[in-house]
Amino acid sequence: MSVIAPNFKFSEFVKSILDNVFWILLIFALIGLPAIQIILFYIEMPVIDGELLTPFLALTWLADPSRTLPILKAFMTTDLFKIAAFPGFGFAALLAAGTIFIERKMLAKLQLRVGPFYCGKIEGILQLMGDGLKLISKEIIIPAKADKPIFWAAPVIFVATAAAFVALIPVAPGWVVADVDVGLLAVFAIIGFFPIITILSAWSSNSKFPFIGGIRALHQMVSFEIPLILSLLGVVILTGTLNLSEIVASQSNFPWIIFLPIGAIIFFITILAELERIPFDLPEAESEIVAGWLTEFSGMIYGLVQLGTYLKLYAFAALFVVLFLGGWTGPMIWPPFPEEIITDGIVMGPITVKIPGLPIFSQEMLNGVVWFVIKTVGVIFFILLPRGVFPRIRIDMLLSLGWYKLIGLAFVNIFIALGLLYAGVLGPGGIL
Amino acid sequence: MADAVFLALSVITIGSAIAALELRSLIYGSIALMGTLGGIAGFFLLLDSPFVAMFQLAVYVGSIAVLILFTVMLVKRELIFKKVEDKRRKFVGIALMLVFMVALGSVIMDSGIKTITTDEPAVDFRNIGADFLTYYWPALILMALILAGSVTGALILARREDVENEQRTD
Repeated sequence: MSVIAPNFKFSEFVKSILDNVFWILLIFALIGLPAIQIILFYIEMPVIDGELLTPFLALTWLADPSRTLPILKAFMTTDLFKIAAFPGFGFAALLAAGTIFIERKMLAKLQLRVGPFYCGKIEGILQLMGDGLKLISKEIIIPAKADKPIFWAAPVIFVATAAAFVALIPVAPGWVVADVDVGLLAVFAIIGFFPIITILSAWSSNSKFPFIGGIRALHQMVSFEIPLILSLLGVVILTGTLNLSEIVASQSNFPWIIFLPIGAIIFFITILAELERIPFDLPEAESEIVAGWLTEFSGMIYGLVQLGTYLKLYAFAALFVVLFLGGWTGPMIWPPFPEEIITDGIVMGPITVKIPGLPIFSQEMLNGVVWFVIKTVGVIFFILLPRGVFPRIRIDMLLSLGWYKLIGLAFVNIFIALGLLYAGVLGPGGIL
Repeated sequence: MADAVFLALSVITIGSAIAALELRSLIYGSIALMGTLGGIAGFFLLLDSPFVAMFQLAVYVGSIAVLILFTVMLVKRELIFKKVEDKRRKFVGIALMLVFMVALGSVIMDSGIKTITTDEPAVDFRNIGADFLTYYWPALILMALILAGSVTGALILARREDVENEQRTD
């Protein structure tokens, strides 16, 4: 076992921590508190329920459990919470992190390896955290004669675009960041940004392998965007709407994959190509061009690109669920919130605690989230699975697959949808 | 609020259009062109037509700008572009642009655009589709013919004799 810090003494460690705490408290008391007082002196506090909201009152409210829950619920309806935490970035990043770990472990099992094992003692569950710390602490190396502004901006824009994609996905009834009428078109518009970012970052690094990888990524993404868009038109024809929430609501009886299996298969294949996953991972072909367009990225820039890639994976899997597998619909499996807690409060022997504001989430919402997560994880599993099974295909095979076969099949899918519509089976006014 | 957004969008659009013309670096020029096209999408959003805005983004920024970028990256700039410093051409160009702007502006101002009320809801894209298939069907047919003609022309231009490659053995 290697020794990280040979002169480490636990007592010195505790002493240094206590030292830091002492100085922080001292500086806060001498400078921080007067500064807060001075700022509060100039701010006009609002009047709530006829009471002037002094800092003391605000702290009292925050510490009072009977007031905390309503404040929390009010916070959860704000846009900030939706963007940063639940249906938006935080939720997606959590699922993405889980995806990375499951992928590494599952691939190892498929290939008769062990995979991440030592970090965190139990099957390497802390491997991801270790990798993240490593990426943050590493130096960011910028190649000589690289185009610095684009090289720095591209990973950030990549993550931002992936997050914008995530923001359009409805997770539960009413739980979506951006509920726009033209949601599916917005998805198409956002997908169109990925090849631009890829090729710009590849060009800006001023290196051969990234440039070849970027050109390949551009070819692949642009040619698979067309069957992707065409394969989703069947769903739009049958539902008559572009709003993703309404598309989910239209599948309360049956998911569209029953009637449009060809469209679902085309969409799945184009997902694999857009995500640059095996068998379509030519842009990152590690045995030919080092790491493709990611070659020159190092440190946290690489970490950002990986985060964006997995956010994109989650978003595409969720889009598949929303369009073909019925989104959050499913039988009610979440138990109802016990009524007596709302009416009588929690009775613990002689003490009764009444907590206003319960339940925090409705039963429908929790049930919807459970079904959505189950389906999304299933789709992500099927996206990960080919990596352990298939070899990489040639680029001419890739392009002929995209331009000839998938586009043709997408038109077959559209004609099936039109036939179902005009036969009066499905769609507005259909018999089902 | 809308005025501030309109001003910002105008500055972005016109500024990046000028940058697209004047920048020496072709890559940055095409990025500026993307800014212009995205700004126009923003104008469509301000005009309560998100459908058109999303198509503007998907088609112009997502496809056409990518093609321009792709072409620019694959050419050697020194071989095909020679910078001709010609002041007179520049002034004539600016004058021509001003004439066009004044003419178009007068036409638009006379068209009764000032009397339009702006608090109407967004145009439903179903109505756009219905209009295309009923009242404006000749335009649709014309567009379809032009598109078919251009696709055929592209196919003919892209056709080539199959070159025998000695290095391939299969």
